[in-house]
Amino acid sequence: MALLQIAEPGQSAKPHQRKLAVGIDLGTTHSLVASVRSGQAVTLPNTRGEHLLPSVVRYLADDAPQVGVNAQAHLVDDAANTVMSVKRLMGRGIEDVKRFGENMPYLFEACDQGMPLISTVSGLKSPVQVSADILRALVQRGQSSLGGELVGAVITVPAYFDDAQRQATKDAAQLAGIQVLRLLNEPTAAAVAYGLEQNQQDQGTVAVFDLGGGTFDISILRMEQGVFEVLATGGDSALGGDDFDHALAEWMRQERQIPSQLDLAQQRFLLRLARSAKELLSDVETTELCFEAWPGDEVYAKLMLTREQMNQLLNPIVDKAIRATKRTLRDAKMAVGDVSRVVMVGGSTRSLLVQERVSDFFGQTLLNDIDPDKVVALGAARQADVLAGNQTGDELLLLDVLPLSLGLETMGALVERVIDRNTPIPVARAQEFTTYQDGQTAMAIHVLQGERELVQDCRSLSRFELRGIPPMAAGAAKIRVTFQVDADGLLEVSARELTSGVAASVQVKPSFGLSDVQIADMIKASWTNVEDDRSARSLREQQVEADRLIEAVTVALAEDGERLLTLKELQAIENQMAQLVSVRNGQDHHAIAKQIEIMAKASDAYAAMRMDDSIKRALAGKAVDQL
Amino acid sequence: MNITQDYFSCYGLPCSFTLDLVALRKLHHRLQHHHHPDRFVSESDAQQRRAVQVTTYLNQAYATLSEPLKRGIYLLQLEGMDPLAPTNTQMPMDFLLQQIELRESLDEIHLAQDPEAKIDVMSALLKHQASQLEDEFAQAYQASDLAVAETAVRKLQFIVKLQQQLDALEGVLLD
Repeated sequence: MALLQIAEPGQSAKPHQRKLAVGIDLGTTHSLVASVRSGQAVTLPNTRGEHLLPSVVRYLADDAPQVGVNAQAHLVDDAANTVMSVKRLMGRGIEDVKRFGENMPYLFEACDQGMPLISTVSGLKSPVQVSADILRALVQRGQSSLGGELVGAVITVPAYFDDAQRQATKDAAQLAGIQVLRLLNEPTAAAVAYGLEQNQQDQGTVAVFDLGGGTFDISILRMEQGVFEVLATGGDSALGGDDFDHALAEWMRQERQIPSQLDLAQQRFLLRLARSAKELLSDVETTELCFEAWPGDEVYAKLMLTREQMNQLLNPIVDKAIRATKRTLRDAKMAVGDVSRVVMVGGSTRSLLVQERVSDFFGQTLLNDIDPDKVVALGAARQADVLAGNQTGDELLLLDVLPLSLGLETMGALVERVIDRNTPIPVARAQEFTTYQDGQTAMAIHVLQGERELVQDCRSLSRFELRGIPPMAAGAAKIRVTFQVDADGLLEVSARELTSGVAASVQVKPSFGLSDVQIADMIKASWTNVEDDRSARSLREQQVEADRLIEAVTVALAEDGERLLTLKELQAIENQMAQLVSVRNGQDHHAIAKQIEIMAKASDAYAAMRMDDSIKRALAGKAVDQL
Repeated sequence: MNITQDYFSCYGLPCSFTLDLVALRKLHHRLQHHHHPDRFVSESDAQQRRAVQVTTYLNQAYATLSEPLKRGIYLLQLEGMDPLAPTNTQMPMDFLLQQIELRESLDEIHLAQDPEAKIDVMSALLKHQASQLEDEFAQAYQASDLAVAETAVRKLQFIVKLQQQLDALEGVLLD
């Protein structure tokens, strides 16, 4: 680990001692390192003059791993030991990986915490270790081009990364021996790269439209007096330029009546053809699609595609991104007309159609003059320079938000929302819970992230148990669970029983996280399933209520039912209870509510009898002055 | 920064319901500039933790003061009242009837021919009611008539809840 320069509190570096700090864009396909030199943010090249480092690591039996172009060259001939797209595995569990890992040529093994490990000739490698190897290469490049030790780095993450994915990224940096100055959201970094805080006319509301290969992020920010404040962030993490290629490929297949059962080579052929047609049509109006090299015995005739036709095919995909943009504007409580600047990020914003549509939607010209591949790293470099303390006076301050809501599991597998998404961070919230049964001494805390109402639809972040709660009547114990989210967006949860002071604390450090597709689905589903969720919630609530009543009456009857009740009274209560049990297992929450009422009425008299009885027993044999 | 003081004091403001929100935001940003964890990345762990605590407190303060409903509740809490206590269920009958009517029309919006127009009408109505209740609260609080202020803020809570549901409905319908 590099020795860090540590300044005493209050003692800042002397003016000539410029601290060396870098911004790192740790990307899925490629990564970049950038730094501020002579007041200008620049990406740092390797000795061959290449700026982009392919995010590929190849493990060797007796040597240090290869990273970048050298590793990329072996993706085919040494597929099992050459790891690419590791970002997709960060913060994920073995189960997630098995689901989408079919296309990955690696041997996965699960470790104790459920983290997927890749089996290579140099041993088992976790995604965190692979990322650390990429980070090490970037830091070495930074140190050799800047000529000294780095004080730290700002590392960018997609705005949509959940807690597990952020934590995994930070762990990788730690493993690589880098001090993380801050984890920064990619769209925020892109906005920073444009230096909007320096011009008075750029003050106001900024939209960052980030369309990558497989994900779409939209962030709405407000720039005001050197403060860059994220108002809302949203998007669709299953939407990107790859969808354009798939739509075009599918159109070709249908036009030429190619059977839908295609082998991998044929799929690749169509996608490659689609991609090159897409690129050609930004310059020309019409292109010819040629199937001569089709990997199969069939012969297909040429096909013409016009830009107009292509746009018709791609428009529905752009519509989705525009819809997500509208939603995020609503979340930010802003109208389209309030937006004063639009920043374009991500390779897929090179598409003319996307540029036209976004420009039309916002009614203004777009900011896209910084290379969309580099803009994130450049913004991170600027922020690293600020955080390292190299700027004086009224420097830029970034205020970010929590991207996905946090909550706890409550009875009936419901999620109790504790912090809503788009809440400014750092933030802390406390929520009180109580025990459900008499004498309950332990309580399980299950932390979830997502927008849906049922546990099964949200992502499980962590489970822990609070033990040693003093035995009390149901509902008497008070358990306060505190969520603290720091400036990196990382969560720490602690719990305390208030009457006894029993404490438990965990840093949420799970071995799995959300898949991008899952996040997209979860968010999308929360919009379309509001009605479903509401009735599902009512059903669960009534079921919990029914269970509570059944439990209470069963315990009471066992204690003194036969002693206090006549056989007829006892049977009446038992009959109603049997009915309640049967409707409780059904799907009709109205019926459960009704039966709860009947049951409660039927047991009212019995409850009164028990009360009298317990008072009598408490007083029995005691003189008045003993009370 | 003393994080045990009340939210008004931390911004140097008097306890009042009437507040200039733009000025509050500027004050908030100025304090964030001084106390945000970004200012302490090369300082000790203790100082960094302290910065997280202080900005957490500031974010909570800003969230409370910048929304009329939360601000009203907070002002009453500072007076030792608990307007949200679950035992506190007394509401005037005419108000409750009106709420039931509003809720019914909310439930019927998705059946309307032009739901968007209906949403706009209802949203304007709710905004109008909210602003009336805010005025009512401000006057009562000013005159130290806390019981009247409490009723106003509890009514406001109903209206805000309806507004939220209307927003959610708008999101679903316009999607």
